[in-house]
Order: sequence, then C-alpha cells, then structure tokens
Amino acid sequence: MNKLISYAPLSQHEGLYGAMFAGPAIFLLFLFLFYPAIRTLFLSFFDKRGQNFIGIENYIWSITDEKMLVTIRNQFIWLVGVVFLVIFLGLVVGYISDRLKKGESFFKSIIFMPMAISAVGSSAIFKFIYEYRPPPSTQIGLINGLRVGRGSDINGNPCGNNVLLDDGSKIGYSNEGCLQPIGWLQQRDLTGLPSFENISNADFFTNLIINFPINTLLLMLVMVWMFTGFAMVVFSAAIKAIPSEIIEAGQIDGASEGKIFLSIVIPYLKTTILVVATYLTVSVLKAFDIVYVTTRGDFETNLLAVKMLDEFAIYLNQGRSATVAVLIFVCVIPIIFLNILQNKEEAKA
Amino acid sequence: MNSPTQKWYDKPIAKIILVSISLTWVMPYFGFVLSSFRPGDSIKRVSWWSSIMTGDFIREFTFENYTEILFAENLSRSFFNSFAVTIPSTIIPITIAAFAAYAFAFIDFKGKNIAFMFVIAMMIVPLQMSLIPLIKLFSKGAILFGIPIIPELQINGTFVAVWFAHTGFGLPLATFLLRDFMLGLPKSVIESAKVDGASHLTTFYKLALPLSLAGIAAFATFQFLWVYNDFLVANVFLGIRPQNLVVTSHVAQLTVGNYGEAWHLRTSGAVISMIVPLIVFFSLQRFFVKGLIGGAVKG
Repeated sequence: MNKLISYAPLSQHEGLYGAMFAGPAIFLLFLFLFYPAIRTLFLSFFDKRGQNFIGIENYIWSITDEKMLVTIRNQFIWLVGVVFLVIFLGLVVGYISDRLKKGESFFKSIIFMPMAISAVGSSAIFKFIYEYRPPPSTQIGLINGLRVGRGSDINGNPCGNNVLLDDGSKIGYSNEGCLQPIGWLQQRDLTGLPSFENISNADFFTNLIINFPINTLLLMLVMVWMFTGFAMVVFSAAIKAIPSEIIEAGQIDGASEGKIFLSIVIPYLKTTILVVATYLTVSVLKAFDIVYVTTRGDFETNLLAVKMLDEFAIYLNQGRSATVAVLIFVCVIPIIFLNILQNKEEAKA
Repeated sequence: MNSPTQKWYDKPIAKIILVSISLTWVMPYFGFVLSSFRPGDSIKRVSWWSSIMTGDFIREFTFENYTEILFAENLSRSFFNSFAVTIPSTIIPITIAAFAAYAFAFIDFKGKNIAFMFVIAMMIVPLQMSLIPLIKLFSKGAILFGIPIIPELQINGTFVAVWFAHTGFGLPLATFLLRDFMLGLPKSVIESAKVDGASHLTTFYKLALPLSLAGIAAFATFQFLWVYNDFLVANVFLGIRPQNLVVTSHVAQLTVGNYGEAWHLRTSGAVISMIVPLIVFFSLQRFFVKGLIGGAVKG
C-alpha cells in the first residue's frame, strides 16, 4: 500500500492516505449502520413481508393498537422514572461519597458493581427477589417471604412461611387472616394490594392511581439499581472538578450545606446532568434484557425494544417491527437536539 | 478538628444513610449467590434466610449446582462461545477504528469533516434501527441497481455474523474516542516524525499506536464487557440453538424458559456469568470507568 501510494502524484498523497486509513471504517459504517437504518425507515411504510407499500398504516397501528399503547405508556414510565431516579440517587450518592474521609472507593465499588454485570444476570437476581409461588408452597422470594411470615390469623395463631417448628409441626400462611403472597410481576395494577383493597370504582384520580402498573415500576427499579453507579461516578468526578474556592466562599457567606448543594453544585453540574440524562434516555429506549428475561413482555410490562423484536420474530411482521424501531429512534431525537443546543451555548460562552 | 458546628457529613445520620444504601445495593446478590450453593429441592422447600437461621445452609452446602450447570447443562460450551464472540468483536472494531482515528487526527484529506460528522451521526442511531435489514443483509446480501455488491452470505447463526454486527455497533464510538485520545498526544512528536520523512504508516505503527495504548485499553475494556454482557445481538444473530448459546443467552433461556422453578440452575448459571465481568471490573476498574464515561453516547 505504502509503495503504491508513492507512485501517485505528491499532491494526492494525503488524500490517498486518508482514504486508506479512514476508508474501511467509513465503508463498514455505511454498510452496517447507515444503509440498514435507511432501509428500516423504508420498511416501516411496507407490509408484513416488506413487499407492498401501505403508507402510514403501520404508524396508525402503532398509536391505536391496545398493546402498543400499553407499550408506549410503559416506555414513558421507564423514561421518566429511570432518568429521574438515577440522576437523583446518583447526585445524592456521589455528593455524599465525595465527602467521605475513608472508604470512598470501597463504597463506590459497591454501588458501581451492578454496572459491570449483565442485565440478564441482574434480571435473574431481581426475579428471585420478586418470586411468587402459589399458596400454600413456601415463598422463596424475599418480598413475599417477608410478607407472609408476619402477623397472625383470625384465631390468633401465628402465620409463617411454612416454618418447621421443633415439635415437628409446620406453621403456614394458608389460614384465614394471614397475608397472602402477591405475584408482583403479574400485578398490572394496584387492586388487591395493601391499602388498596377496599377501593371500588370511584372518581377519575382514584382510577388513575389504582391503574398504576406496579410490575412495570418494579422492573424499572432493576435498571435504577444497575445505572445509579454510573451516574454516581460521573457526578462525583464533576463535583471534584468544582473549584473549592467557590464552595468555600459560599461557606464563608454562611450558606447552609443544602443551599450550597442547590445553588452552587447543581448549576455547576448542568452539563454533566444533561450528559447522564442523554445516556440514560438512550439506554432506557434500548432496554431489552430486563423485560425479556423477567416477564417476556407479558402482564402489560412490554417495552418498545422487546415489542420490536417480537413483531419481527414471533408475528413475522417486518413493517410493524421497523415502525417500532423508528419510534425508538424518534424518541432519541429530542434529547440529541438538546445536546446540540447545549454545545452551541458552550461554544458561544 | 474541634469546630463547634459539626459538618452534616460527619454526623451519624450521613453514615447511616451511606450504610443503608450500600446494604440495599448488596442485598440482592446476597440471597442469590447464597442460593446457588443450596440443593435444588431445598431452595424450593425453605427460604434462604430461614436456611441460615436453622443452619441448614451450612449442613447442605454443595457445589453440585455448579457441576450440573457447567457439564450436564453445558454452560461450559456457552462460556467458550462467549469468548469466541467477544474477543474478535473487541479486536476487529478497535483495529479498524485506530486507523480511522489516526486519519481524522493527523491526515489532511478532502471531506475529512464530513466523514467525521458521519461517524458522529452514526453514534446516535439506536442499534434497533439497523437490526432487521442487517439480518437480511447477512442472509441475502445487498443488491444495488441490480448489481450484487454483497453476496448471499447466509451467515446468520454463525459467529461471523455477530462479529460483524458488533463491529458495526462499536465502530463509531471507538473511532470517536480514539481520535479524541490521539488529538491529545503531543503534536510536536508526530510532526517531527513527518519532518524526518516517516510515512503515515510508520508514524502510525511506531508512534501513534504505542502512545494511545491507554485509550485503546479503555475502549477495549468497555467493548469487551459490553459484548460479553450483550444479550440482544447474540439472541438475534446467533439464535437459541444449544450449540450457539453464549453465556447471557443461556442464562436468559434458563430464567425465562420452561424450567419451572429450576432456581438452583438459574442462580449458579447467573453467578458463573458474572465472574468474568467482575474480574475485569475489579482488575481494570480505572480503564473501565474511563471507557464507560466516554461510551456514554453509544447508540
């Protein structure tokens, strides 16, 4: 290659070297990312097998089909919930750990560890915690196990999680009055949950609350558990970069710790928060493993990324699958736009 | 320090918050890892916390789940597959990206800015956008104006397809990060090489590459873990035939599938799948965090 280029006129050397060095990458990007993305966009206007043009029918399906609407609702809950919770927890944990005299790295490692293991592994871990087994079998999931092991039945006998006593008798939770286990991941609303048992159809807001998908929330927490470490690391690096004079000046002026956090630290971290929010948004939109492994998208827990694959692999509908993919992409655009705006603002300053 | 006003973060309440957060974060592993050492029927009969209290856990402690999952259930093959997928999927994109990064950093060629904009634009495209056509591309090839530019490869379900897919998904970020790193190298060194008459290839091999090893290591750690932990791409391009399973898809099969309540296999399988990432994480923490923060924009 080197020799070949040396035969070319000198003025073209740089250009040829450029092509030789950057060419393969550009070609592969074009082949593996750009061309497929364009083709997906086209496919979204075509039918099941990708042969007949059907206009925006797929898009109409995507906002009218009941299952799609549930999927979009879940995606929305995930987006708001994960981004908000992870940034909040990340800020708190990052700020506190930064002030630790010792054990900072140990503490950070613990919080960060879930980021290193796979989402499949994390989902398995949490599926074990949320595990539900039909009564009267022993509850092995942490939450249900603690739930059924408490209290006593209507006759005053203690309830238990099928605990074997010394005299050989067993105490279970099947007696009337004992708390029953809840299928957390099957629970698509709040009916039948503690403090919601006696609410019958009432006004609009009660309905709104009672229809809150608790299983989606619980699955979302898996992602919060995984990504808080990431936010913490990024925030704590950014907090360390704040000039200490500014914080000291605030302290001399008598600002309280909370005031310093709100009016000095947070404004300083604005750009960082946007970066983390961007990363989280993209990650949530691509979130596939958690829902796939735990519920397989059943019980109204589906997300766009899972739905997209199901449309392709199970319902064999390429058009709809492509449409869902385009929806995922469309959701990314606003936050990218925000980033561009922010970059411009910084370039100006 | 005898300051009269104790800082809030020295007060016990802050410590309590920290300890309870750490416990919350560790708790999920605890029962899970513990259960992987208990016999299968025991897991179902007695909850893990009462097994500690009654001492059953110590009495029944066993490694049998691990031998069963590794050999009878053949997770060892999936483990091998994982490496067969991961190592090339890490090396190929880095190699191609290193060349491209050098070009973007040090060669003045026409269309450089446009080409680099293209790389950045590809970073924000979620991989879902490329999935279906990529499957088609790998089986049927590509035809442009009636001319087959990519032949019918029929490589879906082979490792090659996964390598290609991960190469495509990893390239933009790798190029971006390595270019950033190379731009940070002392310019005078690269320029003096040019003055001495070294060609770009020589400069690349002798100077740019060795000097950017730290950047390459950061991305390599990130990409390695990303590919190893990936389930979506492996699931789509390799499928679920037993001989094709990687560790993540194997554990996913166990967890989602019709294994009923095979928690002794689910726990031990998942624990095995976590060993490699945790070793990498604890030994290369610095690189990993760097690569991850840089990778915050991966599409």
